[in-house]
Amino acid sequence: MHPTETAINDYVDGTSDPFERNAIDEHLAACAACRQLVEDLRELKSATATLELRPPPVRAWGRIERAIRLEQRDRPRAVFPSVKSLYWLGAAAAIVLAALIFPRFLPGRAPAGGDEPAEMSASARQAAEAIESELRLAESHYENAIKGLEAAAKSDQDALDPGTAATLQKNLAVIDQAISESRAAMRAQPTSEPAQQSLIENFKTKIALLQDTVALINEMRKGNEAGAARIVSGLKNKG
Amino acid sequence: MRLTLPIVIAGLALAAPAGAQDTDPRLVVREVVRTATARAYQGRNAGQEQTERISRKLRVGRDGRVTIANISGEIAVTGGGGDEVSIEAVKRTRGDRSELANVEVVIEERAGRVEIRAEHTRFRDRRGRGDSASVDFTVTVPASASVDAHSVSGSVKVSGVRGSVRAESVSGNVTTTDTPNLELAKSVSGDVSLTGAAADGDLTAGSVSGDITAKGLKARGLDLNSVSGDVLLTDVACERLTVKSVSGNIEYTGTIVRTGRYEINTHSGDVRLTLSNPPGFELTANSFSGSVRSDLPLTIGGNSGDDRGRGRERHNMRATFGDGSATLSIRTFSGGIVIARR
Amino acid sequence: MTARQQRPTLPFPSKEATVSPEDLVAQCQAGNVDAFETLYHQHAARLYTLACRMAGSPEDGEDLLQEIFLQAYRKLGSFKGDAAIGTWLYRLALNHCLDYVRSRQAKMNKLTDTLDAETSIQPTARRETPIARLDLERAVERLPDGCREAFVLHDVEGFDHKEVGRLLGIAEGTSKSQVFKARMKLRALLGRA
Repeated sequence: MHPTETAINDYVDGTSDPFERNAIDEHLAACAACRQLVEDLRELKSATATLELRPPPVRAWGRIERAIRLEQRDRPRAVFPSVKSLYWLGAAAAIVLAALIFPRFLPGRAPAGGDEPAEMSASARQAAEAIESELRLAESHYENAIKGLEAAAKSDQDALDPGTAATLQKNLAVIDQAISESRAAMRAQPTSEPAQQSLIENFKTKIALLQDTVALINEMRKGNEAGAARIVSGLKNKG
Repeated sequence: MRLTLPIVIAGLALAAPAGAQDTDPRLVVREVVRTATARAYQGRNAGQEQTERISRKLRVGRDGRVTIANISGEIAVTGGGGDEVSIEAVKRTRGDRSELANVEVVIEERAGRVEIRAEHTRFRDRRGRGDSASVDFTVTVPASASVDAHSVSGSVKVSGVRGSVRAESVSGNVTTTDTPNLELAKSVSGDVSLTGAAADGDLTAGSVSGDITAKGLKARGLDLNSVSGDVLLTDVACERLTVKSVSGNIEYTGTIVRTGRYEINTHSGDVRLTLSNPPGFELTANSFSGSVRSDLPLTIGGNSGDDRGRGRERHNMRATFGDGSATLSIRTFSGGIVIARR
Repeated sequence: MTARQQRPTLPFPSKEATVSPEDLVAQCQAGNVDAFETLYHQHAARLYTLACRMAGSPEDGEDLLQEIFLQAYRKLGSFKGDAAIGTWLYRLALNHCLDYVRSRQAKMNKLTDTLDAETSIQPTARRETPIARLDLERAVERLPDGCREAFVLHDVEGFDHKEVGRLLGIAEGTSKSQVFKARMKLRALLGRA
């Protein structure tokens, strides 16, 4: 007669009374299935204890800051101007770029509500320049990541069937077209937020597609074609 | 004549069940259906299709889970009555009949779960030489079962399945009908078509070059993605939306909810948002060179007054409709943005 | 993702100068957004992790994180310093997560005791490899509403069943059975059933 699973649960937590505990000890000595269950629950407990903190996406702060700014606009308090710079995270396999957040008083930006604070200082102008140079820096980081992924994707294109390889190539070209349009727009209007945002979005899309391609190739190469179809569901990090 | 291997039990004894606790869930019943090759040579019949049909019926329980993994060939799954899984697999080849032996149909039966696979035994040259056999699966499952179906080069169709559904293909189309628990529908070069799809939680659909078309789509969160395909959603409702395309158009015709968050992003495609009786929302619409237009009376920025008939093209708009409780964020680079009222 | 962001140097005063916790809070209360940002970076990971697990997805977790910090910004004026700022933020975050969970349950009209009918999660083949943290994290996200929150509060955050019951508005016995159901589901999801 097996103990109920709830009883085993209490046993693993150390909250059964001594009588129950002895009864279960005796049972475990003879029952492999219940021993397995106890072992599994203990393993789960210790694995749970190793769970780590998860850092939020880089863009999260920008959104919070924007919300706070809106609050401040409605309920003004003493505000110290805070200029956001460009953040990016480099990682071995992927580059994630946060949305570019610009302070409301950046020159050249289309006013949203027409009620901006009057102070537009030399420091704000300096900020604009600093941000542009950082954007160029971020661009080169993206390009390096892209080159790496492209090399990986090209080296093993024969792992993919020709039709799929052609589709992926064609769509990479679509994204490249979009990237060059965004770049041209940025050259024409360097402070245009839509232009900057579109460039960043297109970079992200390109990297995501390259990552999926590389992952698909890896699965095909391993001979795990059925697994390859699963790869399509996007192993890449979103955000 | 077909030679069928007897059922192979994977290493575990069948215990006489004495109660739910004693049935070992690890029991796997695995059947590999092979074709005898020795006598099957019938000379080259190039162009004429050779087929071989395999049928099986298995019990899986009303809430069982069915996985179908195919490489070359189609998958069609339908939800039916009862608690049985009924499998029809048709092997096809345009080469010699003996080539049918290059693909095996493997059926694994576990507690509450059935796994169906096509396994190619010969090395497959990706350029298409070598193995030329494919398998088409037609499977009927209990209506409330869960289904996970994927094929590399073949279409995937799932219909009338009420459990959770995941359907993927690399080069084939993915079509789902009447799936109230659709989690994922994706393809690389195929189209994704959803009719009567819903999810209690999040639904993800994507294609790289294909279109994503949905009629009757309801979920808490929607994540839809294409690169060159269009995303066309009709009769759609959700609380949170992320839709992206690069060159495709995006159309959303449906409803939004009070505190929902909706993000639409495309580079050169157009965006058309048609809302029925929308609750209040706050809109941020930005385009680099495309025009932004709204047919709804919006409060632009801090000033009231609508934008119709001004004749001036705008490229961005920050506006409020009603109490501004939902958040709409629409971005394009060169595509136009239209917010229409139904 | 690294916990620290890499920022290029800018010709602006450093935001990283070490400030005592009391001074930092005081600056935040005075409306200094940079100081609030520092506070955010100090505590965001803890609260984001809690929000993701309670809400069941990183997307919801992110939304919650924003709301939590916005509310923290609004309510910071009422913080008296009788507890550590981290504790105060944690309580605020926890309450926010609980509100979110409760309102979502009401909306979706799901009872927390229908898990026996919930069978879309089926055991995978038994694996003998140790449980990877990431697999466990994902498996926790996949737990159904109801038992997931109880599991997170009891097994992860360390509240006892009585406290969990109070926080979730359920009986102590219900908390026990929910945690237990969550463990069994996790066991199945991680290939141990």
